[in-house]
Amino acid sequence: MDNKTVETISYLARLKLDKDKKDKITKDLENIINFVDELQDINTDDVTPLANPLEKTAPKRKDFVNSKDRKEVFLENSPQSDQDYFIVPKVVE
Amino acid sequence: MSIKYKTLSELKELLEKKDISSFELVEETFKNISSSKTNSFITLNEEVALTKAKEFDQGECEGDLAGLPIAQKDLFCTKNLRTTCGSRILENFIPPYNATVVENLSKAGSICVGKTNMDEFAMGSSNETSYFGAVKNPWDLERVPGGSSGGSAAAVAEGLVCAATGTDTGGSIRQPAALCGITGIKPTYGRASRWGMIAFASSLDQAGAFARNAEDCALLLNHICSHDEKDSTSLSNDKENYLENINNDLKGKKIGIVKEFDISNLSKEVQDSFEQSKKIFESLGANFVEVSMPNIKLSVPTYYVVAPAECSSNLSRFDGVKYGYRAENVNDLEDLYIKSRSEGFGDEVKRRILIGTYVLSAGFYDAYYKKAQQSRRMIKNDFVKAFSEVDVIMSPSSPSSAFKIGSKTEDPIEMYLEDLFTISSNLAGVPAMSIPHGFSKNLPIGLQLIGNYLEESEILNFAHQYQKNTDWHIRNPDSGDNS
Repeated sequence: MDNKTVETISYLARLKLDKDKKDKITKDLENIINFVDELQDINTDDVTPLANPLEKTAPKRKDFVNSKDRKEVFLENSPQSDQDYFIVPKVVE
Repeated sequence: MSIKYKTLSELKELLEKKDISSFELVEETFKNISSSKTNSFITLNEEVALTKAKEFDQGECEGDLAGLPIAQKDLFCTKNLRTTCGSRILENFIPPYNATVVENLSKAGSICVGKTNMDEFAMGSSNETSYFGAVKNPWDLERVPGGSSGGSAAAVAEGLVCAATGTDTGGSIRQPAALCGITGIKPTYGRASRWGMIAFASSLDQAGAFARNAEDCALLLNHICSHDEKDSTSLSNDKENYLENINNDLKGKKIGIVKEFDISNLSKEVQDSFEQSKKIFESLGANFVEVSMPNIKLSVPTYYVVAPAECSSNLSRFDGVKYGYRAENVNDLEDLYIKSRSEGFGDEVKRRILIGTYVLSAGFYDAYYKKAQQSRRMIKNDFVKAFSEVDVIMSPSSPSSAFKIGSKTEDPIEMYLEDLFTISSNLAGVPAMSIPHGFSKNLPIGLQLIGNYLEESEILNFAHQYQKNTDWHIRNPDSGDNS
């Protein structure tokens, strides 16, 4: 884990790290990765990955609309919106 | 009449006998909260709570928990009541709906007095990562209450409320329950709905309860747990009446002690309490069996791949567009995302998002994420095998009693090891709880009981039988008998 890797993953996560905290976070991340590296030593041949403890697939339900249109309510929570849209900085020149 | 430290059942009885009105109860609760020094609450719900109490007193509301004030962890969405998740990014977020757990408890008649403080997005074991400041342990204000549900645990331990909700992703109910000397339970994964719970790690998160004893936890679970179509991992199995199933004999029951949980390096008091508790269960007729769970030692590293991976994915929704904090003075849309997230999240959340992004990135996915999912299966298999031999598994809840505020913040891994005994239950998805069972350095310590899938009643029964024969759960920060 070096500064360049941290910069790459920070960008992927859309995060910018404070300059004065960058070294500490890089060191922390390196320690954490070293810590979880213990997993590399175990034999997992023929072990099926477990994504959910109950291994349930999402149940199917009848395909009908059961929620109300609450557009106004949700738009109200936006930092900036007009009647129909979330407003963001201009995307297309 | 002082309502401090009264149990849920005691307050329920007082209300039923009309020895106290709900209005008096709620008013007194807010008085106690205002003089508290623990910083347990982020937002209070005074006006609504007092109105609801009046309605109850006028006979307009019914239910198992009618008229009783409780607190909600600030991770559950509460309609028209600010829900921050302990983060700056949700500092002004007011949900337009209730989480299913909140809705269930409200339908049972309980009154939400406020939202409790917590580690930011439930990431932490000390409640120090909250944007709204650290919570202090009511047994010693210089120490942490544990986390992430630290505010809920401290509020119950201090006697501000008789019950509170919590969530547990790696120990976030059991570890603070232990450090605050109260009872806390996390049911089987899928038993309580996650709808309206702000997601951290979706395959591990589970709602649960804090109270002063196991009996009250059973009553709370009766309402917290439900099948919910809105949560695709919600279990459809019939729900038990937990309260009716906690009066069973322990004769012939088998308790597993995990061979690989080495407690010989823990403090003498932690070891002595564990031995004493074993004797109590033996006197109640239970037998102890050593069970080998060779993969349990992989729990913490497995968790610190799986949980950050899911966290990085879940927290990508916070972008400053649809709700939450939005940074000012941005150049373009990408700048808006980056600045809003960088200013809105705290350091621990950023660390976990970065770890998650790293382990999920191309070239590392198989080495970390897939590998962790494989070791997760191995851990689950250990539980399945152990529960073919025993009824419950017993261990300490946490390695030590409450530590000083600031003493573990520099080294994330030291903090992560706080959850050494609790994390494996989340990876496997089994129910688990913590009950008070002694003191170390005059601070409470907890005993963990882990049950088989959907055997919440079993661990609640063990806990209730234990509490009928001990008084650790009755002690409180004012009672002066903390040794």
